[in-house]
Amino acid sequence: MVAKHIPIVKKKTKKFNRHQSDRFKCLAPSWRKPKGIDNAVRRRFRGRVAMPSIGYGSNRKTRHMAPNGLKAFLVSNTNDVELLLMHKDTYAAEIAHNVSSRKRVDIIARAKQLGVKVTNAKAKVTTEI
Amino acid sequence: MASQVSADLVWEIVRSNNSFLVKRKASGGVQFSRDSLNLTNKNSRKWAGFVNDKAIGVAPADKEGVKVLSKKTSASNKPTSSISETVYSGGKSARKTYVAVANQAAKSNYRADLREAAVARASAIRHSYKTPKPSPEPKLRGPKAKKAAE
Repeated sequence: MVAKHIPIVKKKTKKFNRHQSDRFKCLAPSWRKPKGIDNAVRRRFRGRVAMPSIGYGSNRKTRHMAPNGLKAFLVSNTNDVELLLMHKDTYAAEIAHNVSSRKRVDIIARAKQLGVKVTNAKAKVTTEI
Repeated sequence: MASQVSADLVWEIVRSNNSFLVKRKASGGVQFSRDSLNLTNKNSRKWAGFVNDKAIGVAPADKEGVKVLSKKTSASNKPTSSISETVYSGGKSARKTYVAVANQAAKSNYRADLREAAVARASAIRHSYKTPKPSPEPKLRGPKAKKAAE
């Protein structure tokens, strides 16, 4: 049975910046909800910046998905790759950053046998000529 | 005789913390299980073989074979001796192996609900013995392609 393809829709790709963070260099852009009694952004006036809300969330079926339709699962050794044996259509292996190139070769070989995709298969194992 | 503690109670105790459990914070907090009696490696009541009185596991065996583990209900209080192993060698045809695995899961009222997953896992394991296709040569682009053309 082939599941119906659900396109990955990102309702908003730009970040929500904190109100007036563009005007003051000491005001970091990380989102803080405006709390003032007269605040126009809080009162959602026309032409003001939008506030984050649950409606911007992604479809649950495509949440955490990479553009190739797979979710990443962090692996550190070949035993972790074995866990994905029955989930190779949902999850891709992502090798942890602190794994040596010698062990990466084993992980990539095992993943290939099982048909599991590795997102960072080229990292640390390829050499520049 | 079934185990002295009900499987439901054991599950409620160990579902959030056990030695087989693998948790990741990424991808929405996914949870897998390393349990050999777990057919899909998912951490859930249905697949948790170490909890249930009856459970099936499928694992790779020597000579490209498939090994089916199942739990004996008679020895539920002896974890090591409660597991019985049946090996289907790689020489056996795929269809015969799957029929045997399916029968082991579903015949004689064992766990008919695990039949499909058991066969799927046996199939995936058999598939993993095949030599993988060599990955295609990467196409060179830009200055590297020009260099190679010379």
